[in-house]
Amino acid sequence: MSAARAGAGGATPPPHAPEFEVVPREGGIVAVCFVAMASPCELLLETADTHTAHEMGRVAAQEAWRIESKYSRYRPESIVSVINRSQGHAVVVDGETAALLDYAAQCHLLSDGRFDITSGVLRRCWRFDGSDRLPEPAAVAALLPLIGFEKVQWRASRITVPAGMEIDFGGIGKEYAVDRVLCLIAARFAGAALVNFGGDLAANRAPGTGPWQVGVERPGTEREARLLLELSRGGLATSGDTHRFLLRDGVRYGHILDVRTGWPVPQVPRSVTVAATSCVEAGMCATFAMLQGIGAEAFLEEQGFRYWCLR
Amino acid sequence: MRIQSIARLAILLGLILGACGCTSLGVKPWQREILARPEMALNAAPIDAAIDDHIYFSKEAASGGRSFAGGGCGCN
Amino acid sequence: MQLKRPRSPLHLGLMAASCALLSDSARAQAAPDDAAEKPLQIDTDLLYYKENAGRVQTIEPVVSLKKDFGDQRLLDGTLTLDTLSGATPNGAIPSRKPQTFASPSSTSLTPKPGYKTTLYTIGPGDLPQDPHFKERRVAGDLDWSQPIGLDNTVSYGGHASTEHDFDSVAVHVGLSHDFNEKNTTLSAGIDEEYDRIHAHGGNPVAGSDYALYEKEPSQTKNLAGGLIGVTQVMRRNWLTELNYTFDHSQGYLTDPYRIISVLDDTGAVTGYRYENRPDTRTRQSLYWVNKVALGPTVLDLSYRRGKDSWGIGSDTVDAKLRIDLGSGMYLEPHARWYHQSTADFYNLYLSETGPAPTYMSADPRLAAFAATTFGLKFGIATSRNGELSLRLEQYQQRPSDQASSLAELHGLDLNPNLKATIVQLSWHLEY
Repeated sequence: MSAARAGAGGATPPPHAPEFEVVPREGGIVAVCFVAMASPCELLLETADTHTAHEMGRVAAQEAWRIESKYSRYRPESIVSVINRSQGHAVVVDGETAALLDYAAQCHLLSDGRFDITSGVLRRCWRFDGSDRLPEPAAVAALLPLIGFEKVQWRASRITVPAGMEIDFGGIGKEYAVDRVLCLIAARFAGAALVNFGGDLAANRAPGTGPWQVGVERPGTEREARLLLELSRGGLATSGDTHRFLLRDGVRYGHILDVRTGWPVPQVPRSVTVAATSCVEAGMCATFAMLQGIGAEAFLEEQGFRYWCLR
Repeated sequence: MRIQSIARLAILLGLILGACGCTSLGVKPWQREILARPEMALNAAPIDAAIDDHIYFSKEAASGGRSFAGGGCGCN
Repeated sequence: MQLKRPRSPLHLGLMAASCALLSDSARAQAAPDDAAEKPLQIDTDLLYYKENAGRVQTIEPVVSLKKDFGDQRLLDGTLTLDTLSGATPNGAIPSRKPQTFASPSSTSLTPKPGYKTTLYTIGPGDLPQDPHFKERRVAGDLDWSQPIGLDNTVSYGGHASTEHDFDSVAVHVGLSHDFNEKNTTLSAGIDEEYDRIHAHGGNPVAGSDYALYEKEPSQTKNLAGGLIGVTQVMRRNWLTELNYTFDHSQGYLTDPYRIISVLDDTGAVTGYRYENRPDTRTRQSLYWVNKVALGPTVLDLSYRRGKDSWGIGSDTVDAKLRIDLGSGMYLEPHARWYHQSTADFYNLYLSETGPAPTYMSADPRLAAFAATTFGLKFGIATSRNGELSLRLEQYQQRPSDQASSLAELHGLDLNPNLKATIVQLSWHLEY
């Protein structure tokens, strides 16, 4: 039996160190730990061979850093930064970016426009630091014309983002990296493996000793409950509202924003955990649920997802 | 002789460009994003170029430049 | 935990989209080079070319396939079909009196039993041109290129073409070497071409009297050439290339269909001679091309200086500006300016009196002239990496030498301007 501790929500990101650490765990599992995408990351492998663990760890860490460097909006050389600087001119993108843009477009449609990778501009007036400083309604309204994935032209490997608008893969990147790393590991490693990037997980199969034991921490919830799950195969992701919020006059404003109004979605659950075939699917599903606000549980129930929801 | 002057001009320009190549001209591998655009290739529209070369070969005395100066047709 | 409810359409849609994302990106990652993702490129083009005054008209379909076998190993094949018709000048100059000529396919100038004679008459003041010109040409090219080691590329290929009166085969080999972090590339190549000329009705004896109508069986010529070039990355947005090419031809270099008018002192036509060009020709050219990106706009600017052993010097300046219109569309205006000087043995006509020169030609393509091209190309992106485009160009040649002071030729345009319209439709696909 192995215990995988997964934290929901963001801890203060430690500085990025291009190294990883191999830590043996109990039950014939070795963990490779590193930092990527501002999260503690670990790769759990069913092996006794630390040399193999080093090799796999290198593959995992390099893929995570590659994706981070390619899609982080904080890196000037990333394709996202290039697109956001393009001032309304077309940018030709490669196959991987094209696949991510197609996915973002599909999710925009599936969510009736609620999921929108152009919504990042709202960061300019919303700062979820636990204080009571709400932005001016006029400031929020001024940003609305700069939001809307339907305003982005995406066809034939060319994306044109109008001047003043931005895109970012923040809602897809980490889960995508988890699935990509698992894919690369599974192609090279015969045993069971689990990839965990700060609470977004995927596993290819259960170790010989039984399913992976996953503890989903949900700090700050009323019951401080730690959800214990068993995972054999597939993805698991958690969307949470515990750390990033504003509180004013007893009303809690969570950080999940409604792109149609620019204001937080009211009555968002404290935490939604979803299990699905892949981490990307689980993460997007959890995001869709959060965007439903008060209707999150009903949404998850009706669509037939495996979920755990806490208010 | 008139023929030699063009060879001299070629050698001079070639030396200049060659000398440039040894100094700070050029870009780092991660700075090639503009050069990688398909329209930045030196022969970005090869069929247009072949058609034009054929037309000008049959209507003018000079030909070639980008590649060989051959003909391959009876039109001149 | 069991599924409480079957998966809804939205759930299935999300599953499918997530699955597609992971498989598409896995495929993209497995072949990081975008060209290898799309290993086959197909280009289909249709050219329509038409000159003024009832002259040459061409319809030319071209099909080209390019296959990437991975690791930069490329195979490139092109098939070209050329159908030409229309009138082509025969080299004689206009006259105040009507002139009659025999079409080259004739076996006799004057009607005789057992011989084929196709005659055409040109009115006073008109440029003599043969209206029976019809030609069909098929040409094929095949090229292969592959890397050798990390910094070198070798390429080789061949060309073959055939038409009623001309066959050609050619081969070429090239080598290029990259260094300076692939900022500089040196290239070198050689080519060899072998042609057989078997004009309609036979090759005329060069320089002979037209009235004698003496013909010879087929003849050959060959060409050997070389190229050296350097390509240099100047800036992040500026690429430049300098090429020096030279070639030497020998054999039957005369145009078998062209004649030159023989005139008396007043300018009246007394006869014609077949042209006669030297049997060797050496050409050199220096070509400098630049590609500069100014934001999304790309400028293509080139200059070529040419010289050959027939005394013809040429200058060519060519500029294209590709303007991005957004939504995968672009507009590309084009301007070209060309000038050539006259060949040593070029003459508009010969004089009856005085010694007959060894070499002679009245082919306007060996005369001094300036030519300009103005064009516009419009392109639109289709599906992944595909493109549809339309190109329209106007070409105009203005010869320097168009009039004569001789009495009979006074007021006649002896070498009219040439105008041509070029329309090209292109379709690019990638699989």
